[in-house]
Amino acid sequence: MTMTDVTTSQPGIKRFIGIDWNFGALKTAGPQYWKFVWLLITLTALGVMAWAVVLTTGGNAMAQRDNFTWGMWFADYMFYVGLAAGGLVVYASVHLFGAEQFRPLARLAVLQAGLLTMIAILGDLTDLVRVWRIFWFALSPNLSAIFVYTGSAAGFYMVLCFVDLWVLITGVGGEKLAFRMTLIALPVAIYLHTTTAWVLALNKSRELWNSAVMVPIFLTSAVASGVALLLISAYIMKRFGVLKLKKSMFRSLSTLLATVIIIDLFLLVVEIATVYWPTAAKAGHTLRFSNFISGPYAGMFLPVLILGIIAFALLAGRKTRHLPAVQITASILYVVAIFLKRYTLMSMGFAIGPLGQSQAPYFPSLVEALIAIGLLAMGLLFLTLAAKVLPLQMPEEEHEEAVAIDYDAEPAEPVLEPGVAL
Amino acid sequence: MSQDKEREARPEWATAPDGTTFSRRHFLQSIGVAAGVVAAGVVPAILTAPSASAEEATVTSGEAPAVAGATEDPLASIIANDRPVNYPGKPVYYADPAGKQKWAMVIDVKACVGCRKCVYACVEENNIGRTSGFTFIQVLEMEPGKIELESAKLDYEEAGRPDKWYFPVQCMHCADPPCVYGCPVQATWKEPDGIVVIDYNKCIGCRNCMITCPYGARHFNWVRPEVPAAEVNPKVPLAEKAWTAEKCTFCIQRTRNGQTTACTEACPTGARKFGDLNDPNSDVAILLKTRRVWRLKEEYSTEPMIWYVG
Repeated sequence: MTMTDVTTSQPGIKRFIGIDWNFGALKTAGPQYWKFVWLLITLTALGVMAWAVVLTTGGNAMAQRDNFTWGMWFADYMFYVGLAAGGLVVYASVHLFGAEQFRPLARLAVLQAGLLTMIAILGDLTDLVRVWRIFWFALSPNLSAIFVYTGSAAGFYMVLCFVDLWVLITGVGGEKLAFRMTLIALPVAIYLHTTTAWVLALNKSRELWNSAVMVPIFLTSAVASGVALLLISAYIMKRFGVLKLKKSMFRSLSTLLATVIIIDLFLLVVEIATVYWPTAAKAGHTLRFSNFISGPYAGMFLPVLILGIIAFALLAGRKTRHLPAVQITASILYVVAIFLKRYTLMSMGFAIGPLGQSQAPYFPSLVEALIAIGLLAMGLLFLTLAAKVLPLQMPEEEHEEAVAIDYDAEPAEPVLEPGVAL
Repeated sequence: MSQDKEREARPEWATAPDGTTFSRRHFLQSIGVAAGVVAAGVVPAILTAPSASAEEATVTSGEAPAVAGATEDPLASIIANDRPVNYPGKPVYYADPAGKQKWAMVIDVKACVGCRKCVYACVEENNIGRTSGFTFIQVLEMEPGKIELESAKLDYEEAGRPDKWYFPVQCMHCADPPCVYGCPVQATWKEPDGIVVIDYNKCIGCRNCMITCPYGARHFNWVRPEVPAAEVNPKVPLAEKAWTAEKCTFCIQRTRNGQTTACTEACPTGARKFGDLNDPNSDVAILLKTRRVWRLKEEYSTEPMIWYVG
């Protein structure tokens, strides 16, 4: 397919694969925008250089060792894959549960999900010390290795998100195809999170990972942090005029967020209770978990609970929960909490090794940190460019009244929208 | 029951030829008093060991020769269970083809003095990088009275302490190897003779095998393995091991050529016995039939091919 100019009143718009790419918007973008873009490009370049160090010197540049077999990349993989879920749940609820108030977010949600999955996969690939042998994944996959399932699921999910975005923007197939795509995407998302949780849970060698609760807790953490991130980026997109969004939409989103947060916290408490209850407690488990309650990791693990409770309390307060500042604060708190949860969850497999030996806490090396920051910067870079170039605003005539809408109008009574379903 | 009476009550297959068991008398004669002091300290610890599996239970109830199936080889089910897993049909490139053997090891923790001679011999034999920061064999200094890994010490400095016991751990060459099940690209497999091998030219370096192994037996070459030129063993890969996982191979380069493993050879107290379970006269076959043996993390049902006796 070739890139051709279309007859349009706006200069700089090029039509390619059915999408109007507004490159003209980049020319009119302010200096702040470009400063931010160049910062992201610099960070991405540093990440690429750090990866080059790994490719040429092997794993020596990383802080991971035999006793801390996986590190930053794995915490990030769980974190990003989880964040990607929120976008999909919101998008799917439009089509499956008729949550029309989320429709304006659909393109942003799907784009964000695709980008997050992309950097999750790239994080995995940059950690494979012999990544050029990756073709063996296709030539001789081992069907009893959960990596095969989560890896292929992540790849498929990423492609699905970008195809979904294309369907949403071009309107190909109309509402019918969008609905059918949801029917595929939602099970794939659940499959991706299940297999990601199983990367941990299906190991009898790692006591604290080997829990059946791991799968539901992954799903709730994923949806909670994903919705929280979507709420944050929706506010940012609204602030910079990329999207027009109603306050009632944010209300619905934060109600959904509060509900998932409390389920997520509940499952975590259930898991902790199982470790410590006298009739269930195994010495190996309690000893390992005590590292996270009172040991060297307590400073990272306890905030998961504290931040989670604060975030829920903020969103539960009747008088304040409609305030953007409260919603944004709660969302940031929970995204941070889930990152700490992923990091400590990763550490739970390694803090005491299979031969019972305590390990010093892992902290990523400079190279690992640069790769992680570079990947995040790359995801943000694509999102920043897409905010200008891609038509992320959903066309209004499909779902809104033709009358002028006051986007900042307060909903009369902050009630739960009937379409919000879990 | 005296030793002679005990032998009479046993079926013929369960009777060990003289000098092949780890009897206390033989043990003391062979290694001297120093090790005996250690042994005295470790006996109570071993008494708390989990009971052996069903096959061994049958074996050790030697007083009842009329037990159904007593004339069958009690190791048959162990041997039958030790099947190849993900075996590509051709041997790993650095080794000779597998024979008819089923390799197994028995380690007498009563005799082990924690001297780490096996560790050093293994490092030299298997071209383990001198700066790689790992060894295939890890000897744990255990507290008396329990088999608790969490209170064990790996970096002990003084060996042979009478108030401790010593517990060598390495790749167990499990009949149900979680590492083989966990490798996403089938770069590791279990050979027909039971040895779990790694194809260093296929390993993608994901380290999932190290996650799945409950014995901490797998190690990653984070750096290029460095071995002084004069000490390189030409029969074992070296350069291609860089940035891949590796572990004990039961000295595949030796054992498939009629030798025993380097660790077995190096052990000054004879605590290690290595051999073929298919050979009824091998040390390991006799020990499994006649002694009360146990395996590390038996409850994980990985079916290790290294047994402990004490």
